[in-house]
Amino acid sequence: MSDTMAEARPMSDPLAELLADYPPPAANSHDELLAPDGVVRPGWDYVLRELAALGFDGLAARHGEAQRLLRENGVTFNAHEASRSVARAWSVDPVPLPIRGEEWAALAAGLAQRSRLFERLLADLYGPRTVLRHGLLPPELVHAHPGFLHAAWNSLAEGGRWLVFHGVDLARASDGAFVVLADRAQAPSGAGYALENRITLARALPSLYRDAPLRRLASFLEAERATLTRLAPHKHEAPSVVLLTPGPDSQAYFEHAYLANYLSLSLVQGEDLAVREGRVWLKTLGGLRPVDVILRHITDAWCDPLELRAESMLGVPGLLAAVRHGGVALASALGVGAIENPGLMPFLPALCRALLGEELRLPSVASWWCGRPEALEHVCGHLGELLVHPLGEPYHLIDGAGLNGLGREVLIARLRREPARFVAQQRIRPATAPVLADGRLVPQPVTLRAFSVAEDEGYRVMPGALAWVSPDGRAPVRGGISKDVWVLAEAPQPHVSLLRQARGPVLLTRDGADLPSRVGENLFWLGRYGERYDSHARLLREALQRLIERGDGAAEDSCLEDLLTALELELGEVEAGPRGRFFALRRRFLGLFDEGAESGLRTTFVACLRNARAVRDHLGDDAFRALNRLRQSLGELPSPPSNSAGRNALDEHVTLLGAFFGSCNETMPHHYGWRFLDIGRFIERVLNTVGLLRLAFVQARNPGVPLWEVVLATTDNLAAYRRRYRSALYPSAILDLLLFDEDNPRSVGYQLRRLGRQIGRLPHPRSNPYRSAEERLILQAQSVLGLADIEALAESVREVGIGRADGELAELLERLHAPLLELSDAVANSHFSHAETPRQLVEML
Amino acid sequence: MRYAVTHRTAYRYSGRVALCHNEARLLPRTTPWQVPEASHLAITPAPALQAERYDFFGNRVLYFALQDLHQALEVEVKTLVSVLPRELPDPAGSPPWEAAVALLRELPELNAMEARQFALPSPFVAPDAALADYALPSFTPGRPLLEAVLDLNRRIHCEFTYDPQFSTIATPLSEVLRSRRGVCQDFAHLAIACLRALGLAARYVSGYLETIPPPGKPRLVGADASHAWLALFVPGHGWVDLDPTNNCAPDEQHVTLAWGRDYADVAPLKGVMLGGGSHTLEVAVDVEPLEA
Repeated sequence: MSDTMAEARPMSDPLAELLADYPPPAANSHDELLAPDGVVRPGWDYVLRELAALGFDGLAARHGEAQRLLRENGVTFNAHEASRSVARAWSVDPVPLPIRGEEWAALAAGLAQRSRLFERLLADLYGPRTVLRHGLLPPELVHAHPGFLHAAWNSLAEGGRWLVFHGVDLARASDGAFVVLADRAQAPSGAGYALENRITLARALPSLYRDAPLRRLASFLEAERATLTRLAPHKHEAPSVVLLTPGPDSQAYFEHAYLANYLSLSLVQGEDLAVREGRVWLKTLGGLRPVDVILRHITDAWCDPLELRAESMLGVPGLLAAVRHGGVALASALGVGAIENPGLMPFLPALCRALLGEELRLPSVASWWCGRPEALEHVCGHLGELLVHPLGEPYHLIDGAGLNGLGREVLIARLRREPARFVAQQRIRPATAPVLADGRLVPQPVTLRAFSVAEDEGYRVMPGALAWVSPDGRAPVRGGISKDVWVLAEAPQPHVSLLRQARGPVLLTRDGADLPSRVGENLFWLGRYGERYDSHARLLREALQRLIERGDGAAEDSCLEDLLTALELELGEVEAGPRGRFFALRRRFLGLFDEGAESGLRTTFVACLRNARAVRDHLGDDAFRALNRLRQSLGELPSPPSNSAGRNALDEHVTLLGAFFGSCNETMPHHYGWRFLDIGRFIERVLNTVGLLRLAFVQARNPGVPLWEVVLATTDNLAAYRRRYRSALYPSAILDLLLFDEDNPRSVGYQLRRLGRQIGRLPHPRSNPYRSAEERLILQAQSVLGLADIEALAESVREVGIGRADGELAELLERLHAPLLELSDAVANSHFSHAETPRQLVEML
Repeated sequence: MRYAVTHRTAYRYSGRVALCHNEARLLPRTTPWQVPEASHLAITPAPALQAERYDFFGNRVLYFALQDLHQALEVEVKTLVSVLPRELPDPAGSPPWEAAVALLRELPELNAMEARQFALPSPFVAPDAALADYALPSFTPGRPLLEAVLDLNRRIHCEFTYDPQFSTIATPLSEVLRSRRGVCQDFAHLAIACLRALGLAARYVSGYLETIPPPGKPRLVGADASHAWLALFVPGHGWVDLDPTNNCAPDEQHVTLAWGRDYADVAPLKGVMLGGGSHTLEVAVDVEPLEA
C-alpha cells in the first residue's frame, strides 16, 4: 500500500515544498527569510535543509513534543495556573531565527555601547548630575519618570556598578535595520526563557540542533555567574549570592527558579532576608548566614519598605541602608529603572557624544518627549502613527490609532495640560519571520529581547536572544509564541553547560542547615496538603465507586452517609421523589470538584501547588512533572464531572501523588528539607488515620462490615488484610493492622515512629538540653499507644458488630488525637522563623 | 534669634519588637539665614548601628537600627540654632506671574534648572484642575508673582479652618479643599498644588515655629509642635518661604529642618519594624528662645 501512495504523489523537492506557501514580503516591509525578490536570504541554508528533511509532518510532531516538554516542566507565564481557566502556556515555535555572525557582531557592539552609555548616565544622574546642569537632559524628563529614585542618589560607593544586567527590546524596521524599542534594567526577564527554549528545542529536534553552526548560550550564563561573584563587597573565596524573587505568584517565577538552579544560587523571598549590622543575612534553619550579592528580580520601588514604597511586602527593610553601608551589592543597583524612561531616546545621540565621546551605534525608534514645544506639536498632529506613554504609568500605553475623534481630543487636552509627562513613539511593524502555523510556514512580526551583562571592562552580550511574535513590538502580557534566536558561527560549537563544568572552589555542605526557614515551612505544608489531597481523593473515589455500582440503589447504601461525614460534608436538602436521595448524594460528593469549594479538591490542590512552586528549586524535575500532570488533569476535568470521569481522574491522581512522593523520597537528599516534607505528610496521615478509625468504630451511623471495607480500601490495606486473614472482617484484626502494626506504613504505630525519628533529627538549639515541645508530643502519643490495654480494646470492639464502641477504644483514640493535633503548631513554632510581616511606624504630627 | 529646640518622640509597643530600621530627618539644615550649632542626640535603647548622610535634597538624615528585643523607643534631639532675619523682596517689583512661569523654563541659570523638578506632581501633591481654579482669583493677568502668591497665602489663611481633628496625613487634598479644613501640612500641600498647577515651582518645608505665649502667661515647655510651610521659586531672585497657616513670610521665628517635594520626602521619623503589635506615640516639641 505504501508503494501505491508513493507512486500517486510525484517526487518533489522537499525544500520547495517547505517554502511553497510562503509569500515574499509586501512592498515596504522586511522579511527575515525572503528578500523582496523572493530569494532566500543568506544564513538560512542549514535551517531550511534540516527542516525540509523533517517535512511538515515531522516538524509538527516535533513541535508537539517541544510543547509537551515545556508544559511538563511548568514553563508558564500564568500565575493562576491551578485554576480551571486554562492556563495559557508560553509556546515555542520550532523554526529558529538565524542571524548571521557578522551582522550580530555589529548589533552586539551597539548593544554593549548602549549598556556602557547607560552605566555612565546612571552614575551621573545619581551623582554629580552634570547632564542636567549642562542642559543635555531636561530635569522634568528625568523627574517625571517614576524610575528615578531620589533615595538611590549617592547610594553606591565610588566604582560601584549600577547597571549589571540590561535587556533591550529590538525589532527590524521596514528597511531591515535593527532599532531599539525599549530598555529593561530593573529585572529583565527572558534570559532564562531563552535558555529553556534552546534546551527544549534541542531535545525535541535533535537532528536540527546536534550539528547546528550556532553560538551557545551557556558561556553567557557563566559570565553572569562570574560577574555576580565579583560584585561581592567583602572579598573572600566563596561569596554568597542569592536570587531574590517576589515569590510563586510572580509571572516570571518559573524563570527565577530556573536561573537559581542553573546558576546555583539560593532562591529567596524578601521575608527570608534581614538587614543587621549594615549587612544582609539569610534566615536559615541553622541561624543567620551572611549574603554578599543579591540578584534581584523585584522591581526597584518594591525592594525596601523603609526608603521606597512603604506598603511593599516583597522587599527587605533597610536594604538601601545596607547598600550605602557597603554591606551588600545588588544586581542591578536600586535606581536603574531611570533608564527605562522612553523619553531618553531622542537625547541618546547627544548623551553618547558627551559621556562616551562616541557616536551612538544603535538607533532607537523615533520618539518625542512632549515637554519640548516642537515635539508636542508633532505628536498632536500625528497621533494616528504613534504609541503614547504616560510617564507616571509604566504599564499604560495609548495606541493613537485606536482612538476615535473624541478620544483624540481628550488625549490632546491631556498632552497640552501636562506635556512633560508624555512620550510618544513611532508605531512600527516589526519585520516578519517564518512561524509554523496550521502545518505550514507563515510570516509573523517578531520582536527580540537581547541581554548584556557587566564585565570588568564594559559589557558582554548574550549570543542569542528571546524572540516573540508581536504585531507592534510590545512584550506579551501573558503567553505568546516565542522563538529561539540563533547567532550563526563558522562551525558547530562544543556544548558547554554550567551544570557540568563548575568553575572555582566549591564549599561542600551536607547537613542542609543553610536551608532558608521559609523553604522548610513550604515543604512542610506541601507534605500536609499533598497528603490531604490523597486522603480526600481516596475517600471520594470510594463514594463514587459505590454510586456507579449501585445506581439508584446507592441511596440505600449505608456507607455513603458515613463517607459524607469523613469528607466533612452534609447531605443537606433532599428533593422529593424516588431518586431524590440519590441525586442529593451525588451532588454533594461531586461538589468537591467545584471551583472554590471549601476544602474541595481544587482548593486543596492550589494550596499544595503554591507550596510546591515556592520550593521549585528543591524538587526534582520528575517529581514536579507528576504534580504538573495532576494540575493538567484537574484543569481539564469539567465541574462537576460525571461519576465515572471523576472516579477515573481520582484513580490517576492517587497514582500521580504516589509518584510525586515516591520520587521525592528517591531523589531529594535526606536532609532537613526532605524531613520537613515527610513530617508534614505524616502528621496529616496520622490525623487522617485516627479520624478514620474513630469514624468506623466510634462515630459511625451504620457500623459494620461494609464500612470496615471502606476503611481498609481507603487506606489501601484491603489486599494486606486479605493476605493475612483471608476471610471475614474482624474488628480486632483491623485495629491491629491500622493501629499497632509498626511494620504497616498505614498504621498509627508506624507513623508515630517515623515522625519521632524525623523530628529527632531536626536541627536542635544547642543551648537547650531538654526535649522540644514536638518531641514531647510524639512521646505522649507513643506512650498512649504503647500502654493501651489490648485485651480491653478487643472486648470493646467486639461489641462494635452490634452497636458502637464507647469505652476503651473511644478514649484511646481521643487521647491519641489530642497531642497529634498540637504537633503541627509545635513544629512550626520551633523551626519556622515566624516571619511577622514588617510594619510601618506611623508618626502623626 | 537663637533657640534651643528639643524634639522628643516616644513609641511604646504592646508586643516586643525584634528588629527596627529607622530614618530621622530631625537635624536642622544649614542655610544662608540659619546656622545650627551642636545637636545632642539620645536614642533609647541604644541603636546597634547609626549613620548620618545628606539626602538628594541636601537634608541631614540619620539612619539607625535596633537589633535587640525592645518594647519602647525614644528619640530625643536637642539642637542649638541661630536664625537670622530674612528680607522679603518688594512684591510689586517681582515679574508678572505668567512671565515667571516662562522664565523658569528658559533661564539658563543653575538654580532654575534645579527648581524645575519642584514644578512636577509628587506623591502627596497630585495634579488637580480644581486647585488651579482655587488659585486663579489671586493670579489675575499680569499680576506680579509675589503679590499674587501673598494673596493666595492670605486667602488660605482666611478661608480654611485650622482643625487638628479633621485630617490625617492620608487625607487627600481634594477633601481638604472641599471641607476648607486641615492643619499646617495640608495648607502647605494645598498651596504647593495651586502653584504647581499654574506651572510654578514650589517645595515643602518642615520645621518649627517659636510660639509666643499670651501676654502675662508663662511659656509652656513642650507645648510646641512640628510645623510645615512652603517655598516658592521666584526666577531671578530665588526661593521665598510662605506660611499659609499663619499668613506670613517665615522669618526669625521659623526654624527650618528639611525640604523636599512634599511631606513624603521630609517625614521627621519613619521606621519599619518586625513584631511589636500595636503602638502608642507621644511627641513633645519645645522651641526655647535663648538670650543672645
